[in-house]
Amino acid sequence: MNIFSVCGVAIVTAVLALLVRRHSPQSALLISIGSGVITFLAIVKNIVLTSDELRAILSSGNIRSDYIMILLKALGICFLTEFTCDTVTEAGLLSLSTNISFAGKVLVLVTALPLFKEVLSMVSAMVGAS
Amino acid sequence: MDVDMIFRIAAIGIIVAILNQLLVRSGREEQALLTTIAGLVVALMMIISQISDLFATVKSTFGL
Repeated sequence: MNIFSVCGVAIVTAVLALLVRRHSPQSALLISIGSGVITFLAIVKNIVLTSDELRAILSSGNIRSDYIMILLKALGICFLTEFTCDTVTEAGLLSLSTNISFAGKVLVLVTALPLFKEVLSMVSAMVGAS
Repeated sequence: MDVDMIFRIAAIGIIVAILNQLLVRSGREEQALLTTIAGLVVALMMIISQISDLFATVKSTFGL
């Protein structure tokens, strides 16, 4: 999977969507969603490779792997939210897009909450020690 | 990389658009609407499996 095929698929999709949009806009939206899904499914192997490598590096550096899990979860929530937001915006539903974006922010915050707790306990331990 | 699906959806869109025009010109607006809805449902059915695939992949990749 290289960047040339991704860009080629994107350009072909853009032309097809432009062709179809005038007569049936819903098909154009479906084409754009399909193209996004296909591109992500083609590229996801590299994400798995990178995350495994990152986890190995961090575990060799004696850092707990919970943190990288939280990071990955936040990344996944961000990706899904962004994908859905853009699709919904393209369909012309701006208010729904804003709501989904807000939901994504809240869920990222909830996911990162243990990290905040960890930082706070670290700070309080340092203050108590000094 | 399943690029054929994009072409299939585009073909459905073009065919539905042509049928729609033909039926509207011959004065059968309700059949044109039904054709549009049928085409949309077919394309949606094709997309839905892909979207579920995407969600499953994201779930397993990012450990959600």
